[in-house]
Amino acid sequence: MSRVKTPFLVVLGLIWLAPVYLLIVNASKSVDGYDAATVWKPAGFSLFTNFGDAWSKAALGDTLVATTLYSVIAPVLAVLIGAAAGYAIVVLKLKRGFLWFVFIFGGTIFPLQMILMPLFSGYADSGLYDTRVGMIIVYTAISVPFSAFVMRNFFTGIARSVFEAAVVDGGGLFRIFRSIYLPMAGSALAAIFILQATFVWNDLLLGLTLSQSESVRPIMPALTGLQSTYGGAALPTVLAGGLLVSLPTVILFLAAQRFFSRGLALGQF
Amino acid sequence: MTSTIERPAPVKRRTTAQQSARTGARAAPLFGLPAVAVVALLLYLPFLWTTYVSFTDYDGLASPIWSGLANYKAMFSDPDLTGALVNTLLWVAGMVTLPVVLGLLIAVLTYGHKWGTWLRLPFLLPYAISGVAVGVIWGFVLQPDGALGQMLGFFGLPGAHTGWLQAGPGNTLMMIVAVTWQAAGVNALLFVVGLQSIPAEPLEAARLDGAEGFRMFWHQLWPQLRPITTVVIGLSIVGSLKTFDVVWVMTQGGPGTSSETLALSMYKETFVLNDYGQGAAIALFLSLVTFAASILYLRYQLGDSREQG
Repeated sequence: MSRVKTPFLVVLGLIWLAPVYLLIVNASKSVDGYDAATVWKPAGFSLFTNFGDAWSKAALGDTLVATTLYSVIAPVLAVLIGAAAGYAIVVLKLKRGFLWFVFIFGGTIFPLQMILMPLFSGYADSGLYDTRVGMIIVYTAISVPFSAFVMRNFFTGIARSVFEAAVVDGGGLFRIFRSIYLPMAGSALAAIFILQATFVWNDLLLGLTLSQSESVRPIMPALTGLQSTYGGAALPTVLAGGLLVSLPTVILFLAAQRFFSRGLALGQF
Repeated sequence: MTSTIERPAPVKRRTTAQQSARTGARAAPLFGLPAVAVVALLLYLPFLWTTYVSFTDYDGLASPIWSGLANYKAMFSDPDLTGALVNTLLWVAGMVTLPVVLGLLIAVLTYGHKWGTWLRLPFLLPYAISGVAVGVIWGFVLQPDGALGQMLGFFGLPGAHTGWLQAGPGNTLMMIVAVTWQAAGVNALLFVVGLQSIPAEPLEAARLDGAEGFRMFWHQLWPQLRPITTVVIGLSIVGSLKTFDVVWVMTQGGPGTSSETLALSMYKETFVLNDYGQGAAIALFLSLVTFAASILYLRYQLGDSREQG
């Protein structure tokens, strides 16, 4: 059995890596040197020229700045709001805490399709449509339920005596939250942050619906724009764009694999 | 900062603690409020509005006009929408089989393997890539006479000149393959988590009795993997019902509407055709099915967390 096992896994793994190989090889070809008939053969190395083209042609530069803002600010806000909710429910023993929790967590159950149209109308009426603030607000709201879910579980594991001692020491409730409970939750906060930042970075649907201009539009809708206009534009440029937008999440994933596995264990996906 | 705080006298300690616990209970809603407010305003309120609009005729400009179940009837009679319904069912069927079976296979073969973590890595890598990037990569691989065609031609296999994405239902099937490429690794990881929770002693006993290979899997591992399998299948159903990104990038639902999914129809009906009512009805239908599927696996998750407190 084990004599077949390893070779089988290696072959299957190589098949799995083939699309990645094709992406890298063809994103590295110069626009003039690209030949549709020989996509499996490497030819030249113009990856950085193509990155540059993708950057300027699809205005990926502008959009990259906007997306970076969204994927940092929204998860940070969501982590704090979620942690505050977890603190209220578990530590401060909020009345009917489980109901509050079910209400907050229930926000994750229905698909995005259910909220797109009202958000679009509401954003258009309130002037939030096609603004960076609007994007940050919606990404924060989407990330809060999961954050509250994890933080509630995390705080449940902390001994009650920690809170009692802090109260006896005369700390205010907000200070106990900020300087005792938040620092203790460092690893959980990081796990939520990484998962939610990845979600925001990879989002297509909300960006497509709630933004329009190059300085607000997140990176994934911008990349689909590059893809659909490549009738005359070059395929290596599109592929370089695809590679460019994937690098941050792949690097984050490789660097923080254990956080991803923990997120899985928590049931994020 | 801490040096300025004076400890209260020991006699008062208990009463202070009790008093603060009471203040805690009183101040608690303040800490919970921000979460409830954003969730209510940006998730529940839109949810209710969409539910209402789904029973109306609404173009986003004039006031909604009550139309009862008309939008729902259209979903099961309009040929474009029934086509999308069939495609969505194909997605569900495809995603609860291909990536789940492959994920299970990878998990069982790599679990306890010396290089297990490394052998799993190629399958996990695509998971870190966005749906849009997956669409870009596979759109390229599946071009007519593209990478896949050239590969088949090289090995002298038939199908070298197939237009993979140019007719239904073949285009949907090929896109299911693309998403399988992305999703199999995560499922494998979930199954590994499941395998880790199986106690080692019974397995060892079975091994001593001579159970091995497939028999070992079928009689010992598989029954104990039931809970995690439920979670994986539940997540696969929920995920496949929402299929949008990959299709949007690879075919935009075309040619015609041949590869449209309900999630895509919802977007088109609402933001391209301005038929908000129809889009809302599709959204609510998707939500109900998603909800039913979620109950399958949320029972396990919430059950766990409830026990903890």
